[in-house]
Amino acid sequence: MDNRLRVLRAERNWSQGDLAERLEVSRQSVNAIETGKYDPSLPLAFRIAELFNLAIEEVFVSPSRAV
Amino acid sequence: MTIVESAIQPPAKKAAFGWTAAFVIGMFGMPAALHFVALPPALKMVMMLLPMLLLIPMIRAANRAARQCGCYSQAMQNYNRRMLVWSFVYVVALLAAVWVYNTIHPTGILAWAVAVLPSLPILFFIWSMGAYLTEERDEYLRQKAMTSALWATGILLAVATFYGFLDTFQLVPHVEGWAAVPVWAIGLGIGNLIAKRS
Repeated sequence: MDNRLRVLRAERNWSQGDLAERLEVSRQSVNAIETGKYDPSLPLAFRIAELFNLAIEEVFVSPSRAV
Repeated sequence: MTIVESAIQPPAKKAAFGWTAAFVIGMFGMPAALHFVALPPALKMVMMLLPMLLLIPMIRAANRAARQCGCYSQAMQNYNRRMLVWSFVYVVALLAAVWVYNTIHPTGILAWAVAVLPSLPILFFIWSMGAYLTEERDEYLRQKAMTSALWATGILLAVATFYGFLDTFQLVPHVEGWAAVPVWAIGLGIGNLIAKRS
């Protein structure tokens, strides 16, 4: 699933490790989500969106709407 | 079998690989070397335990490698610590059981107890795998471990079925049932490699 995680993280000058620490997950998880290798669960997706003060659909691109 | 994840940076990965290689060589090399040396049986058993000490730096290196690759978790540390415990206890229990069997030639309940003894640490290992899955709070690491475990189970079932029929028709040497765990462990390693590439 496409997402804007890398951009949002870069805007805040956060490393993958910084984001992982804030989300309380491993850095590898952040990397897997960023690269679209792993789709997070709904609770984790909410945590990510809330961390950036955004709605889920502003972070993650719905597969049915992806171009 | 430690849970070491992908994308490990070279130095830590090399150290973990080096200690693992040293451990495997020690575990197979020591009994082979002792075969050609005349020593009292008790001393031989103590010597057989020595390569087990390599597990300590091996697990430390695996933990360091996991930290470097960003896939370290408390649950993984617990799992690796439990692995250290069951591995030591398993070797001691196995050597003790073999020694008692060969020297005392137990019968009745004692024979049953001696035969069951080496399997107890293995049961602890099976429990520790389940405990890791329940303790792991990182859903991505948990999913990877579950995928690897599914691969391991599939490989074990395939090997057991295939080899079992060859055994039934007496085309291959008989293999004991406890071989299931090492086959499963090898399958776990294969599953880890597959998960790393996918």
